[in-house]
Amino acid sequence: MLLDFERVWPSVPYILEGVQVTLAYTGVSLFLGFLWGTCLALFKISHIKVLKWFSSFYTSVFRGTPLLLQLMLIYHAIPQLTGYTISVWEAGILTFTLNSGAYISEHIRGGINAVDKGQMEAALSLGISYPFAMKDIILPQAIRIILPSLVSESIDLLKESTLISVIGGADILRRANIVASEKYLYFEPLLIAGGLYYVLVMILTLGARILEKKLKTS
Amino acid sequence: MILLENIHKSFGSLEVLKGISGRIPRGEVLAIIGPSGSGKSTLLRSINLLEIPTSGKIFVDNTCITDKGANIGKLRTKVGMVFQQFNLFPHMTTLENVIYAPLKVKKMARKEAEILGKKLLEKVGLKNKVQTYPPNLSGGQKQRAAIARALAMEPEVILFDEPTSALDPEMVKEVLEVIKSLAHTGITMIIVTHEMGFAREIADRIWFLDEGHLVEDSMSQKFFKSPKTKRAKSFLEKVL
Repeated sequence: MLLDFERVWPSVPYILEGVQVTLAYTGVSLFLGFLWGTCLALFKISHIKVLKWFSSFYTSVFRGTPLLLQLMLIYHAIPQLTGYTISVWEAGILTFTLNSGAYISEHIRGGINAVDKGQMEAALSLGISYPFAMKDIILPQAIRIILPSLVSESIDLLKESTLISVIGGADILRRANIVASEKYLYFEPLLIAGGLYYVLVMILTLGARILEKKLKTS
Repeated sequence: MILLENIHKSFGSLEVLKGISGRIPRGEVLAIIGPSGSGKSTLLRSINLLEIPTSGKIFVDNTCITDKGANIGKLRTKVGMVFQQFNLFPHMTTLENVIYAPLKVKKMARKEAEILGKKLLEKVGLKNKVQTYPPNLSGGQKQRAAIARALAMEPEVILFDEPTSALDPEMVKEVLEVIKSLAHTGITMIIVTHEMGFAREIADRIWFLDEGHLVEDSMSQKFFKSPKTKRAKSFLEKVL
């Protein structure tokens, strides 16, 4: 059997529009997940027992259950529990943020621990308060250390964002599927979708490599 | 003036400081010496509460800093510190290292802070390293920058924790020169050091620590000429 891209060709722009959607889910959740993950990491290293307990329990739950299950729970359970009709977009962003926050918090915690202890001591000895020392002295160094793992985290999230298609989000994969069922052609649109994800991941990897080099020289 | 009253410090079951009391008058240069593991660094780090004493009281300018509810932030702006490992912030330029605390803690205006920072860096001989990042400095330059950073807060006291121990031998001198230039300018200086020659030259007073006790508290000249205690004597014989 030969591939018949000609019949799929008119639908390519439609699939391409999914790139925006995929990037929006990934980008927004990554940004929010990073903020939330930072909070969780700070909870984990704090001396307040409740926060410590909460953040490690939280992380174990979100890492210990399937992302698809979390997505479905949030999408279906929130309307049932609160009466609020949650949109696909909101459910997606909420789930991906909560989930990636759990993973990112572990990386950030590791990064903070990897920063030399003397850095915090030097900051404190200058009268700098803990929050400022964290924000301006420790975290910037921690993030440099964990940059590679943050990149792999964002690549994971980019690929996992395909799960949004299960609840109807019109991302790349969902659009490829729609085209497939319209034309009764599966292989070609899925190949196109696969190619798009691959290119996006490669761009991300390359960007990270350049950034890393830049940070190393500065 | 700094007053120590019966300072004890334990790490788990290991008692490092076993009841240290002493008085350091304002503007004096004190060198704390003694064998490794005698508690010198721990004692020094207690004075700005990087180590919290297990018991005992510390007064800085008649304020008890070991009280619950003491303003530790305010204390630390008065007591600067220079570390063995420099601990410069590697992601900031030398100038940013120096002016960060004046900007954020003292809320100094940026322009004013930069003038102060450049002046201090010039003072320690780093005029042309203002925009350099610490990884590109030599050990001696790093330590001089760290001294400038401590000075930027205009502290009343500076604690030096083995400031030359991590340096290559040829860089020790330039750092010691800078420290010497600060002595007797009104700043109280407390220096933990293994450089006996330096201690002898710069210090007004010597504290000799051994096994967590302050074994001898003497004026420098007297200490090096005729130590009161046997332990100090045998220590000096070994290191001089």
